[in-house]
Amino acid sequence: MSADSHDHHHELPFWKKYLFSTDHKTIGIQYGLAAGAFLLFGFFLMIVMRWSIAYPHEPLPGYLSWIFTDGWKGRWLDDGKVTGETYNMFGAMHGTIMVFLGVVPLGFAAFGNYVTPLQIGAPDMAFPKLNMASFWVYLAGGIVMCMSFFMESGAAKSGWTNYSPLAGYADRQIVNQLLAGQTQWLIGLVLLITSSLLGSVNFITTIIQLRAKGLTWMRLPFFVWAMLVTGFLLLLAFPPLEAAGIMQLMDRMVGSSFFMPTGLYSAADDVALDLSGSGSPLLFQHLFWFLGHPEVYVLLLPAIACVAEIIPCNTRKPLWGYKPMVWGVIVLGFLSFIVWAHHMYLTGMGPVISTFFQTTTVLISVPSVILLTSLIISLWGGSIRFTMPMIWAAAFLPMFGIGGLTGLPLAFNLADLHLHDTYYVIGHFHYVVAPGILFGLFAGVYHWYPKMTGRFMDNFLGHLHFWPSLVCMNLLFFPMLTQGMAGFHRRWYNGGEGYIEKASDGVNVFGQTVADNISLNEVMTGAAIALAIFQIPFLLNMIISYFWGKKVTSDNPWDATTLEWATPTPPGHGNFTFDIAVYRGPYEYSRPDHDKDFFPQWEEPKSSAPLEEPSEKPEKETTEA
Amino acid sequence: MEIPFIVNARKDTGLFNSKVGIWLFLASEVTLFGGLFSGYLFLRLYADYPWPERALPVLPGLINTFILIGSSVTVVFAWAALKMREWRKFQIYMWITLICAVLFLGLKAVEYNAKFHHQGVRLSSEGSVQDFAYLEGHVHYAKLDENGKMVEVSKEDKKANPEGVFSANKIIFKASELTFALKRPAHEAYVKEILAQAGDEHKITLIGDYRVPNAEELLAGGKNRAQLESSEAALVVADGAKLSIDDLDDMEEAFLDARAHDKSIRTEFLRASWSWIRDEKGIEEISNLVITTDLWKERMAEDSEKIKPLMLSAPGTVTYKIEPALTLVWDPDDIPKLAKTEIKLRDDTVVKGELQPSPMLLGVDAIDFRHTAMRAEEEGIDPLEAIKQSWVLTHKNSKGENDLKKAWECHQAWLANLTKKLDEMSDKKGLEGEDRFVPTENDKYRVNWDQMVAYQKLDFDVEAVAAASADGSLQRSGLFDLSGFAGANHNNYKFPHVEIPRENVGFTSTFTPKWNTYYAIYFTITGLHGLHVIGGALVLGYYLFFGRKMYDSNPEWLANRVEVGGLFWHFVDLVWIFLFPILYLM
Repeated sequence: MSADSHDHHHELPFWKKYLFSTDHKTIGIQYGLAAGAFLLFGFFLMIVMRWSIAYPHEPLPGYLSWIFTDGWKGRWLDDGKVTGETYNMFGAMHGTIMVFLGVVPLGFAAFGNYVTPLQIGAPDMAFPKLNMASFWVYLAGGIVMCMSFFMESGAAKSGWTNYSPLAGYADRQIVNQLLAGQTQWLIGLVLLITSSLLGSVNFITTIIQLRAKGLTWMRLPFFVWAMLVTGFLLLLAFPPLEAAGIMQLMDRMVGSSFFMPTGLYSAADDVALDLSGSGSPLLFQHLFWFLGHPEVYVLLLPAIACVAEIIPCNTRKPLWGYKPMVWGVIVLGFLSFIVWAHHMYLTGMGPVISTFFQTTTVLISVPSVILLTSLIISLWGGSIRFTMPMIWAAAFLPMFGIGGLTGLPLAFNLADLHLHDTYYVIGHFHYVVAPGILFGLFAGVYHWYPKMTGRFMDNFLGHLHFWPSLVCMNLLFFPMLTQGMAGFHRRWYNGGEGYIEKASDGVNVFGQTVADNISLNEVMTGAAIALAIFQIPFLLNMIISYFWGKKVTSDNPWDATTLEWATPTPPGHGNFTFDIAVYRGPYEYSRPDHDKDFFPQWEEPKSSAPLEEPSEKPEKETTEA
Repeated sequence: MEIPFIVNARKDTGLFNSKVGIWLFLASEVTLFGGLFSGYLFLRLYADYPWPERALPVLPGLINTFILIGSSVTVVFAWAALKMREWRKFQIYMWITLICAVLFLGLKAVEYNAKFHHQGVRLSSEGSVQDFAYLEGHVHYAKLDENGKMVEVSKEDKKANPEGVFSANKIIFKASELTFALKRPAHEAYVKEILAQAGDEHKITLIGDYRVPNAEELLAGGKNRAQLESSEAALVVADGAKLSIDDLDDMEEAFLDARAHDKSIRTEFLRASWSWIRDEKGIEEISNLVITTDLWKERMAEDSEKIKPLMLSAPGTVTYKIEPALTLVWDPDDIPKLAKTEIKLRDDTVVKGELQPSPMLLGVDAIDFRHTAMRAEEEGIDPLEAIKQSWVLTHKNSKGENDLKKAWECHQAWLANLTKKLDEMSDKKGLEGEDRFVPTENDKYRVNWDQMVAYQKLDFDVEAVAAASADGSLQRSGLFDLSGFAGANHNNYKFPHVEIPRENVGFTSTFTPKWNTYYAIYFTITGLHGLHVIGGALVLGYYLFFGRKMYDSNPEWLANRVEVGGLFWHFVDLVWIFLFPILYLM
């Protein structure tokens, strides 16, 4: 980009600038706000569920039920209590919203969109209009999915994995299937997949094509590498789920039997279902988890990416093991395609296949551990500044560690026989996602907020957000591991109270273990509600700091080295005000031969050492127009 | 602001942006179709019915293959013409490409259309091996006579007087009473259909007033329940009101409001009881254990006494009577539950009355016993014995005849001759054991439409068929027989006609995704491929019709776009090259 091309862009009307913008930064913020709203909604659904688990015989308290209309409560609550059907619906939508509408858009789409082009020195994404389209398709998908809460059928209710034949049968009574929640879930899913496909094509192309001169592959910040791998995961793993979604849509709309086996029978109507049969429920699971597992890394990598930027910046030393981390993330991406059936050990697919997937699953822990260990070693010997982002990033490390290590027993067939579908699984992946990934993303928000707004976020509110969140997260998720090992099933809407009576029967060991651990339900519910309360400081912080936060004094307030800090604050349309060129690697902190403790990528070397010349200068484009 | 490398390639990657983009997009397309192809494999390998092999007419698929290959060539020529800045040539080649796309889609439409009108029936009958014989053909037409009995209508009569004619695959039900479930919205289209079929002769009226006590009057107090219910404000719809969707909506709304009112009162009571037991009684046991205590049970009993007079208790159903009884003609797909005196529609509306004979009238162009044979073998029964018990061979029409049985006997004669010929061939080549030629499952158990035609031409005369088979004069349709271009043609040939009693219809569908998993995957993959053809044609058409401006200002950019569109077009072609053999030939 030449400097002068900045001057002749004119002021855009409001709707073009903020609503239908093609600027990657605006789109990133749009994604962030939408994903944040969905996260809050998904969180709310979870609190309603947790209420039902801890207090199945008590009506929802006023502070949870005020949001519903009387008519809605009449349909979906039993005298104010959550019914099993409603719990299923909330459970399915909690998972869907958190994964597809919350964390992925926040991590990959919001941070990726805002930061990636800046970090590679690009004026924008390679296909700006496509970028805008992916946001609006995503939003349409989210709205279609959530709209069904207000319809006769209610929203989808067959788990976020949407297994057939359950998912093929639910809501069948609705005459116009387009208005059934279970169908709208599929339509929404197809839209979301379309959105992420457009997004991932855009990301990868941008990273390959629009790197600034001198920004060779091994000079890319780790963040960009992680986004590149995430892009490939979305690109290649999502379409098989789209195929499955289309097939299930056919099952629902035109009565085909892709996933409906022979001999299905409806107990409610006492008739055999009018289907050809011979479909395969296992096929759906394979196609689902072919996405489902890479999706876990789609969730994780953006968070690790944020942490990998924040740690070197706040320890004032280079990222330890940059190259192993890069190769690690590539291997991780590759392996994540061949581990999917470890979600299916108990489907009866056979011991040979299980053994294969057990092996690959154990293999994938190697690159994961490389990533985490490198980040931990990066702390070693650094003069750590405990800024707000750094505190979150530091908490990410042990929390994600717990999440990762509790996954190991699940990788083994034998242990999984006991743990499958228990709260242990829930505890494991929530440790990964909530105090792990979300903490990493919070760190990212605090880190890049000054670049986005020109003001720091408030430290006091930040601490008020961080410490209670850390405590509540652990109070919420650690008991799940305990309950899971005691055999608590993950889909009990009443928290297992049905087993308490059996506890009085001395022979019934399971009843006894349930009775011993059921009181943890109340601890977790309390922690969930407290956790919700302590997100308020964060929301306030976002708003208050935008207007009254401490102003940044330079474009590079954290004294960081990567290219996004070379832009004006906040960056204008087209991003850079000078011809950007890169002279060195991304994490040149505390170089003994340099007077300051950081040496930004874009700063020209004082003596023109030949080694630090930009390696290759791509020719400037000549257009004939 | 400009994005670099839109027109010219970046030096170190050697590519312009959209070329990177399209290759990435195609990679994702590979996994999309990969998912569907693995679906095909999975369904075929684990099918628990005989997979329809070579069931589609090959010729349209073959022509389409060449059309697509040809268009892939012309799209390259169009791109090359642009590169050489020859606009006229570009236009010509692009036109040819688009015409190919339209031809492809046209042929596809012909194929689809034939399937949408082709009905399959899986028969069911009592017995140790269930019937599982398949009949394929076209559904004939029928209408109700003045007594409400179903009578067949010929195609010509239907054209002359189409009123009241329906395709003869319906449930005929003499309805005297309708009950709507108010907790679900009545489906408007059903109500309209019932009213339309009732016409002016049948009166559908509400039985009894639909009354819901007025919530304000109730809360104001001073009136007992009888007074409340008889009050003017309580009346929603009066006794004897004619059926209308508006009334149903009103009653539904009144019911839902009343339910919400009742439930919110019950919720308040329950909430108060929990505060009472916690705050006043100080019980902090695990909450769900509290409900087993006597204290709690007593409180609940007290509550329910207090709650009773506060409830609106709106009735959940309303019933209409039909006078005189109305003979409804209804699509079986909309009736999840069918019994002799009661049917339930999908919106939970219950229709009471009497089920009438609702046979299915079918012109049969193919008989398939492969599933029967498969089941019989699984149960260790001789397949031919099981086939003999099938409804196909045991039923008799009103004249006491059975054309299908004759066709099957002709087929046996043809098969005997085929077996003999194969034996001779094997002997000549000196083949032994498993290497010997034998008839396929299709030959053994399926009478295909072209065989049906051939047997019919010989009046189902077994000896004539045997003789014709022996001297090779029995005609079957070849690859280039246009009369059966998209399958059995019911305009050209007269096929045996059967009346299948409803209880023998096990499962029926047109040849749509519902019929079996083969057609499900066939329609899904080819449909999705067709959408890709449409999408590609739209993009290429856009370059052709709206590209001139860009050609004048920046021809290289347009060439890039056409190149990218052409890459996509090649991919679409490639998918078809995989689709054609697995769906048409294997």
